Amino acid sequence: MKKVFVTIIMMLIMVLLSVSAFSETTDDDLVDLDLDFEIEDTEKKPYSINADIEAKETIVFFDHDALLFRQKYLDGKKEDTLWQTGVDLTAEGRYQYEIIKFYGRLNSLYYYNRNEDFESEVKAEEAYLTLQPSFSLALDVGKKVYKWGKGYAFSPAAFFSRPKDIDDPDATLEGYFNLGADYIKSMDGPLKTLAVTPVVMPIGRDFNHMTGPKDELAWGSKFYFFAYDTDVDFMFLISDNINNQVGMDFSKNLNPSFEIHGEAALVKDYSQIIIDSYGKTSEQEYTALNYLLGLRYLSSQDTTWIFEYYRNGQGYTAQEYENYLTFIEKGYSQYLSNSSRTAITKSAKYAAYYNQQAAMRDYLYLKVSQKEPFDILYFVPAITCVYNMNDQSASITPQLTYSPITNLTVDLKAGLLTGKGKSEYGEKVSDAKITFSVKYYF
Amino acid sequence: MRWDMFKGYILKGGKMKKIFLVVVLGFFSAAAAFALDGNEILKQVDRNLNPESFEMYRKLINIEPDGTKKEFVMFSVKKGKDKIASVFISPASEKGRSTLRIGENMWLYIPNVGKPIRITSLQSVTGGIFNNSDIMRVDYSAEYNCEKIETTDSGYTLYLKARMKNVAYETVTMFIDSEKLLPKKIECYAASGMLIKNLYFKKIKDFGNGIVRPAIIETSSPLNKGYKSYIVFAKVKKRQLVDEIFSLNYMHKIEGLQ
Repeated sequence: MKKVFVTIIMMLIMVLLSVSAFSETTDDDLVDLDLDFEIEDTEKKPYSINADIEAKETIVFFDHDALLFRQKYLDGKKEDTLWQTGVDLTAEGRYQYEIIKFYGRLNSLYYYNRNEDFESEVKAEEAYLTLQPSFSLALDVGKKVYKWGKGYAFSPAAFFSRPKDIDDPDATLEGYFNLGADYIKSMDGPLKTLAVTPVVMPIGRDFNHMTGPKDELAWGSKFYFFAYDTDVDFMFLISDNINNQVGMDFSKNLNPSFEIHGEAALVKDYSQIIIDSYGKTSEQEYTALNYLLGLRYLSSQDTTWIFEYYRNGQGYTAQEYENYLTFIEKGYSQYLSNSSRTAITKSAKYAAYYNQQAAMRDYLYLKVSQKEPFDILYFVPAITCVYNMNDQSASITPQLTYSPITNLTVDLKAGLLTGKGKSEYGEKVSDAKITFSVKYYF
Repeated sequence: MRWDMFKGYILKGGKMKKIFLVVVLGFFSAAAAFALDGNEILKQVDRNLNPESFEMYRKLINIEPDGTKKEFVMFSVKKGKDKIASVFISPASEKGRSTLRIGENMWLYIPNVGKPIRITSLQSVTGGIFNNSDIMRVDYSAEYNCEKIETTDSGYTLYLKARMKNVAYETVTMFIDSEKLLPKKIECYAASGMLIKNLYFKKIKDFGNGIVRPAIIETSSPLNKGYKSYIVFAKVKKRQLVDEIFSLNYMHKIEGLQ
C-alpha cells in the first residue's frame, strides 16, 4: 500500500512540475495586438453538431485482502493491478425547425482490460423532441435527463434521474423515456419566477427497463419559485413500482462568495433488504427521509470549497453493513475449508444493495479546488474527500486538471480508499486507482 | 426652535443673517444637484453603452505573457437594468454553457451537469482576468451610486460605490468622455481599497440604429501582471424580450434565441 501511495504522489508531483515548466514565461511584454478583431460564425444555423473524444488510462490497485475483492474474485487474481485503456466518444446534435427542436447525445465507450477483455458500450444518453409554442411553454417527448435538486455530490430529490457517480458528479447521465412539459411565468413583486415541470414516465419491460408489480405510468412534477433572491423547488413522484416520493430543495447566496443549499426527500414505504451475518435475509418497510445540507465558498485566494452533509435514510447502519461483510468473511472461510461457493454466491446477490455508492447512512463530502495557482492559467488542482461517518472510512481523490490549449483538457486523478476492517471503503475491491485522461472537443 | 419663531427671526433679522441662510441653502442645493448629475450621467452612460433591451455577440480573448491566446464567443440578451443571459457559442469545449444574472443572483448551466448552479460575481466561468461580473455586466447605475463627480479638461470622473452587497467591486472610478458620454477607463477597487482591475474602452463603432459605443474593452489587473483580456462586441442591436427568458428553466434554451 505504501508503494502505491508513493507512486501516486510521485506521479502527481511530476505532472505538476511538467505543467509548471510548460507554462513558464520568458517574456513579460505583451504581444502587440491588432484591435480589428472580428467575430466569425455569428450567423444562426438550424443545426449544430459537437463531439468530444477522451482517451483514458486507468490503473486499478487491487486489495487482495478486502472482503469485496474476495466476493468478486473468489479464486483470487495473480495480478496486483488492472490496466485499463479506454476511449470515450460523445457526440451531440441539435436541429431546430420553427417551434420544433430535436436534441440527441450519443455515447460510445471502448475499453480494453489488459488482463481481461476488450469491451464496448454504445448508448443514446438523450434523444428527445421539444415543441415550444411560446417562451413560457415547452413540451418534451423522448429520452431526457431531468436533474432535479441542488446537491452537488448527492441528489436525493432527483426523482426522475439515475443516481450520480460520487466520483464524478459532473458526468453526463443517461435519461429515461418520458413525456414532460415546462411552464414558466415571470412576475413583478417578491415572487419573480414560477415554473412548473410535470413529467410522465412509462415503467415496464419495454420502457426504461424497470420491472415492478405492473407496467404503469409514473408521474410527478417540480414547482420552482424564485423569491427574495432564493431558489426553492418542491417536487413529488407518484408510482406503484417506484416508491411515492415528495421533496424540496433550496439555494441562496449569503454573500458574493458564500452559497448555501439543501435538499430533502421523503420516500414512502421504502422496502429495505437486509442480510445478517449468517446469511438470513429480511425486509423492513418504512418511510425514509433523505436530506443534505451544503455550502460553496470562494476564498479571496480563489479557492473553492464545496461541502455537503448527506443523510441517506435508505442506507444501512454500521452494524447492518458489518453483518453483510461478516457473512462474506464466513463465506470465504467456508470456501477455503470445503470449496463451497454457496455463501459467497448468496452474498453476491445482495451486492446491488450493499456495494452501491453511499450505501450507508451518514456522509460528509468536501471538494477543495484552487483556480490557477502559480499564475498558471486554466490549471486547477483539487482534492475531494468522501467520509463515511458511520464507520470512519473514506475516499480521498487528488486531481490535477489542465487545459493548455483551446478544446484540450488533461486530467490526472488518483483515488485512494482508506478504512479499518469491515468498513465500507476499507473493504472495496481496490484500495487505489490512478486515471490519466486527455479529452479533446471538436 | 419652532418654525414660526424661526421664520419670524429670519424675516425680522438682519441682512447678514439672510445672506448666511441663502449661502447655506445654496450650498445644499448645489450638492444635491451635483449628486443627481452624477447618477444621471451614469444612467446616460448606461444607455449609450447599450439599449435597455438588446442582444449582442461578444468575443472574450485572454492573452498570457508569452502571447498564448484563448478565445470564447458568447451570445447575450439583456433586458431592463439587471437581467442578462448568455450562452457560449465557441470554443467547442464551452459550447452550450449558459449564464444568467438577475440582480445580485448569478447561475451557470453546464450541459453535462444538466442543471443550473449558483455562482458568484468574483468567480470566473472563463478563467483569466474576467470574472463573472465583467461577463454578466448589468447597468452600472443598477449596481452603483455616484458619490462624487469631478470635472476635468478631458471629461467627467465619477466615483461610484456599490448599492448592493453581492458585487465584485466595492468602488469604481469611471473616467467619462464628456462629449460622447461614454466611459474611457474604469478602475475597479476591492472593499480594502486595493485596485483589482483596469478596464479601457476602445475603438468607438457605429452598430446601427443609433448605437455608437466602444467595440473593445481591454482589461489588465495588477494581480495578474503580464496578462491581458479583451471583450470585443459585435451585432449589438435592440430586441424586445420577454421576462420568461431570464429564468433557470430557460437557461438550456438560450442558444435557440440567436
